[in-house]
Amino acid sequence: MTIRLEQDRLAADAVDYEELIQRDRVHGSLYTDADIFQKEMRDIYESQWVFVAHESEIPEAGDYVRRRIGGQPLIVARGKDLKVRVMLNRCTHRGNMLCQSDAGNATLFRCSFHGWTFSNDGRLQGVSFRGGYEQSLGELRSELGLAEAAQVGTYGGFIFANLTGDAGDLEDYLGNAKDAIDRLVRMSPAGGIDLSAGWMKHDNNANWKVVNEVQVDGYHPLFVHESLYKAIKPAKVDYSSDELRVAVRDLGGGHSEVDYTAEYQAQDREFIWFSGIPRSRVPNYIEAMEALHGPEKTHDILVEGPPHTFIWPNLFLAEMQVMYIEPLSVEQTIQYTAPIKLLGAEEMSARIIRQTEGAMGPAGFLIADDAEMGERNQVGLHAQEPEWVLFARGFDTEKIEPRGITSYDRTSETSQRGMWQHYRTLMTETSND
Amino acid sequence: MTDIQAIATPTGSVPAELVDFVVHEARLADENRYAEWESLWADDGIYWIPTGDHKDPQTQVSFVFDNRHRIGSRIAQLLSGRRHSQTPPSKMRRQLTNFEVLSDEGGEVELAANFSLFEHRYTTTVWAGRYLYRLRHTADGLSLVKKTVLLINNESAIKTIAFIL
Ligand code: FES
Ligand SMILES: [Fe+2]
Repeated sequence: MTIRLEQDRLAADAVDYEELIQRDRVHGSLYTDADIFQKEMRDIYESQWVFVAHESEIPEAGDYVRRRIGGQPLIVARGKDLKVRVMLNRCTHRGNMLCQSDAGNATLFRCSFHGWTFSNDGRLQGVSFRGGYEQSLGELRSELGLAEAAQVGTYGGFIFANLTGDAGDLEDYLGNAKDAIDRLVRMSPAGGIDLSAGWMKHDNNANWKVVNEVQVDGYHPLFVHESLYKAIKPAKVDYSSDELRVAVRDLGGGHSEVDYTAEYQAQDREFIWFSGIPRSRVPNYIEAMEALHGPEKTHDILVEGPPHTFIWPNLFLAEMQVMYIEPLSVEQTIQYTAPIKLLGAEEMSARIIRQTEGAMGPAGFLIADDAEMGERNQVGLHAQEPEWVLFARGFDTEKIEPRGITSYDRTSETSQRGMWQHYRTLMTETSND
Repeated sequence: MTDIQAIATPTGSVPAELVDFVVHEARLADENRYAEWESLWADDGIYWIPTGDHKDPQTQVSFVFDNRHRIGSRIAQLLSGRRHSQTPPSKMRRQLTNFEVLSDEGGEVELAANFSLFEHRYTTTVWAGRYLYRLRHTADGLSLVKKTVLLINNESAIKTIAFIL
């Protein structure tokens, strides 16, 4: 069964997004208006590509995880044909939630309400007391399989889905963010990552766009993370230096990044992105990388490190963590964070898990304070004056590079402008239908 | 992890010394008396808040898995005056009940208690679960070797826990 996009006109279709999203500022109501949120779910989350899961979470036939997109409950399952399907977690009889567990392995899902069963590829298998229908069981089966996402695709192990309609080719959607996934995967000598250490889940009273904006914001660290840098350890690069070669970049398509490559290359030190550990701590990893890439390329990879890239609208490659967000309402967003295990680099895994807990999540030395800023931001935005939120920093520092609009002033709001311009396109396209 | 079914000591016979120690620990946490709280810890202390009840912290991510060094960092950050997520600090009161001694050998005692915690910061949040403590008898009295916090909602999304849980 395919999913139909709710085509009813929404109140927020009448809003003039070209007026509310300007080159250097956006209107505050975009963060607080519940009607606009409803339209975002329809026009961004339910009819475009979004990240749903990683292949390492469901490696075997029958494995599944539960997820949500735009408030809709989903089952992401690997069938016995090993194909990954994204199905709505709703029994086709009277709508009961079919799957109750967050994760597991099952060949069949049995509805607890009246006992209908569905195979893990979504087909209706059994109807209890099957005699009660005008149609034959065969007819029921052909009509009443689980609803499935219109498009499912994977890149570098990341599973993306589009619930309805045609959002085009996955690689076209990823665009310049594809390289970021490649950059992450190449950190593994076995060519893959694993998220089986699980997710920390953090409940934020903030609009989803506020949560995204700070991920690629080079302006805030000195202020928001001052306590960490002063009381515990200095930042991995000197954010107060004017010489810093850290770029912020709008990759197009709403994707953006903070790119430390030039700074790391200038310092030419390995593992700056991983507390500066010496090679001697991870000898097997080094050996495997050198066997694969040779010594020179290995050095370059260990200097350049993993990406710090936001993939529109809900995925963030946060160096050695993967994060994604789930908007629950206009004022509430869940942020998920998983440590990355690099396949073939098991000696790094425990350290990555500890790094993740130290920095990220509800108790993290970094993220707890970012979340606090997000929540204060949400409160502030309820004041009606001034109406505008400014994203005007750094226009004159921007230049066009092959990867996108780039500023080497890390405080430039280039990344956020990139998100907003793409948002404006998506929200405008459907408004005038 | 300790099998929580294995009840060794009925509540009434849990030594008062143990109860007094963890009630004191709870008060220091409630009142954000960070340095005093830190001084309760043994050098090999572990402060653990798992993301589920039976997860292996070496292969699974936790909300918090602090060794003694990181406990010190956590306190230093709180004491910096710039830990925004605790500025202003939470106002808290927690209740400890249902004490059980789970084991007692080699100078170390495992003690369990249920807790509920009312935390107020902007709004009031209720936290609940079970504390598992490992306490060591030393020449200077008891010290805290391990504190595990099993939140009842640890499989779900939780609010920020920048305070001492
Ligand atoms: S709602 Fe599922 S069997 Fe009736
Ligand atoms: Fe931050």
